[in-house]
Amino acid sequence: MGLMSQTRSVIAMNVRSIPQRLWMSLATVVSIALVVAVLLGFLSLANGFNQTLKGSGAADVAIVLREGSEAELNSTLSRDQVDLLAQGPGVRAGPDGRPMVSPELMLVVDGIKKSSRTKANMPLRGIGPNGLLVRKQAKIREGRMFSPGSNEIVVGAGLLREFEGFEMGKTVRFGAQTWRVVGVFEAPGTVFESELWADAPVVQSLFNRGTSFQTARVVLTSPAAMPAFVAYAKTEPRLQLKAQSEQAYFAAQAERSGLLIKYFGWPLGIMMAIGALAGALNTMYASVSNRAAEIATLRVIGFSGFSAFMGTMVEALVLSALGALLGVAICAVGFNGLSASTLGAGFTQVAFRIQIGPEIIGQAVTLALVIGLVGGIFPGWRAARQKPLLALAA
Amino acid sequence: MTDFDLIRKNLFRKPLRTILLTVSIFMAFLIFGMLTSLNVALNQATESGSSAERLIVSNKINFTQPMPIAYVNRIAAIPGVTGVTHSSWFGAYYQDQRKSRFVGFAVDPETYMDLYANDVRLTDAERKSFIAERTGVIVGKALADQYGWKVGQTVPISSNIYVKADGRRSWDMKISGIFTGAKPTDSTTALYFHYDYINETTTFGRDQIGNVAVRTASPDLNDRVAKAIDATFANSPAETSTVDEKTFARAFLKQAGDLNFIVSMVVAAAFAAILMIVSTTLVSAMRERTKEIGVMKTLGFSSPRVLRMVLGEALMLSTLGAVLGLGVSAIVLKGLAKSPAGTQFGDLSLPPLVAVVGLLLALTLGLLTGAIPAVSALRMSIVDALNRR
Repeated sequence: MGLMSQTRSVIAMNVRSIPQRLWMSLATVVSIALVVAVLLGFLSLANGFNQTLKGSGAADVAIVLREGSEAELNSTLSRDQVDLLAQGPGVRAGPDGRPMVSPELMLVVDGIKKSSRTKANMPLRGIGPNGLLVRKQAKIREGRMFSPGSNEIVVGAGLLREFEGFEMGKTVRFGAQTWRVVGVFEAPGTVFESELWADAPVVQSLFNRGTSFQTARVVLTSPAAMPAFVAYAKTEPRLQLKAQSEQAYFAAQAERSGLLIKYFGWPLGIMMAIGALAGALNTMYASVSNRAAEIATLRVIGFSGFSAFMGTMVEALVLSALGALLGVAICAVGFNGLSASTLGAGFTQVAFRIQIGPEIIGQAVTLALVIGLVGGIFPGWRAARQKPLLALAA
Repeated sequence: MTDFDLIRKNLFRKPLRTILLTVSIFMAFLIFGMLTSLNVALNQATESGSSAERLIVSNKINFTQPMPIAYVNRIAAIPGVTGVTHSSWFGAYYQDQRKSRFVGFAVDPETYMDLYANDVRLTDAERKSFIAERTGVIVGKALADQYGWKVGQTVPISSNIYVKADGRRSWDMKISGIFTGAKPTDSTTALYFHYDYINETTTFGRDQIGNVAVRTASPDLNDRVAKAIDATFANSPAETSTVDEKTFARAFLKQAGDLNFIVSMVVAAAFAAILMIVSTTLVSAMRERTKEIGVMKTLGFSSPRVLRMVLGEALMLSTLGAVLGLGVSAIVLKGLAKSPAGTQFGDLSLPPLVAVVGLLLALTLGLLTGAIPAVSALRMSIVDALNRR
């Protein structure tokens, strides 16, 4: 019998004998599944948040902030500056022939978060008629847009999921002012879905902002027009503003949010993996010692040590693969698509959906297979080196 | 040979198996010890310096919205109020906005140091010089150490919010004192400076403040005073929301997400995994020993005594893993407490309560994992046991 066919039949024997050690094997599978589920849980949390940030930025839209402001919240722009920006190079004209520039205000208001029932920061954005134009992904899903000059707001679908009291037709109070919810907008997979939108002039007057804005979004003819526009915003003496592509703005925010995975997800995953590995090793050593007589018999009739090694190795890998499969399934059924929210870089809540993806599944499955590999090597080594006659004599 | 010796000998008859099981249990308790302690520390760091005795008044719309400074005197006049001070978030940083941001508040020095005397500890000389020096700033010890700042030095402190008339965003401030916290472990990575200095030089937000802190004659009055304050400003352009400091701090921490939930899920997953690993391994270990148990019973070991010995083995195993896991957590936490990231957490250590809960968990784990093999050993008749292969 060739080495390959020997190995094949030992592997088959090993795998078929798993039910004899049903409980220990099951414990190994489930513990590996839990490792995968915990790691994948953290990874998909971060993934969902990052995808939302990345999905929010367009390459041909410039976001303009005051020089030195990292976030929209502490930026200011004057009416005159906004007009100057509209005259910049490469600004695209809208359907009405006018430059696609949206001057906006950004304020933080309180809402009650459903999950904790405590107050949390919600972004209230004052936008003008171009607010929807500069956000291709956004559209009104229910109701209608606010009418200019009125105390009406439209609510993002993500915010609606995470906060209470903003359903269609409801009246909400911010301080002494009351607003009516007249519409729900969606902008799937973007941070905008976590916002409240109202008419900019109304926000300016009710929040004592005079005629000033905080940021402007400017649609350019193409992403290639970005450098020229950025330079214009920076060097024009009356502007001296910081323009950047929306894509770069949100990518920088996503970068900072990777810390959660780095400092929590992976260390926890690895700690749990070591615990599960110890369990896997025990199971595989038990497998080898259970089958001592069997392995010895095979060796006596001419099977190689390598086939004994491979039999144990593949058994361990099968168990870890089953564990990985179960772990991914737990995550896919239990977490994937769940809505969550956290405090984003803009100091307001960002609602997002927990999102499993091929890349992070690959990472979690790799960890599981490493457990299987290490859990198979040492017991496999013992199986291969077992003294046949000694084992039979026992 | 005592029963204890027997248990110990049984436990280590296959040393590798026992070591591997101990590693599994150790990891679960390490995760438990670290995560729970971090969570406790985070909660404490948020609340350190915040007390249920002080009230915080902020704009009802959100605490980032300003209020007129005139509110301070109106609040001071409300019956039951014995002290009032105010603070405004400055968005402070030193040189590099991305890398050196820290907590900075513009305050009214005299009243602030009165209300927060316990949390911002200075010598009398430092206190006097801070009040007298209009451009003075007091710096937390951790922050001063980080940048090597000394008393008397003038440092430029920048704001990512306020702007001066000349367009610059940094204010030269003279360090009047370096403060420590109420406890040595309290986080001291903040600085405080004169509101008036900023207010007279800023281009906007003039005569507006962030929050007002209120001390009342007695905590029993808190509810009444809070209601009175909010009623005073009802239907004004800047309505207020008044809560005690602890509530305020807790709500802020919860904005990050449900940390308690995540911690309990991870700990539960880790324990579910070891529960299965340990109990199935113990069952199989006991099965190997069936014949011996038969022999022991023949020799006159009573069934309850056999049960106790099997349970004892499981308990010894789980306690060993738990003590190691909790011990290593304590050491790692101590190391982390000294790292730059760790100082953000304030008091980073293994709290006694966490250790006690950990040991109780170990006890439960031992009883649960030992239960099945122990009961089967108890029920086993001598004839069956000796008959088994």
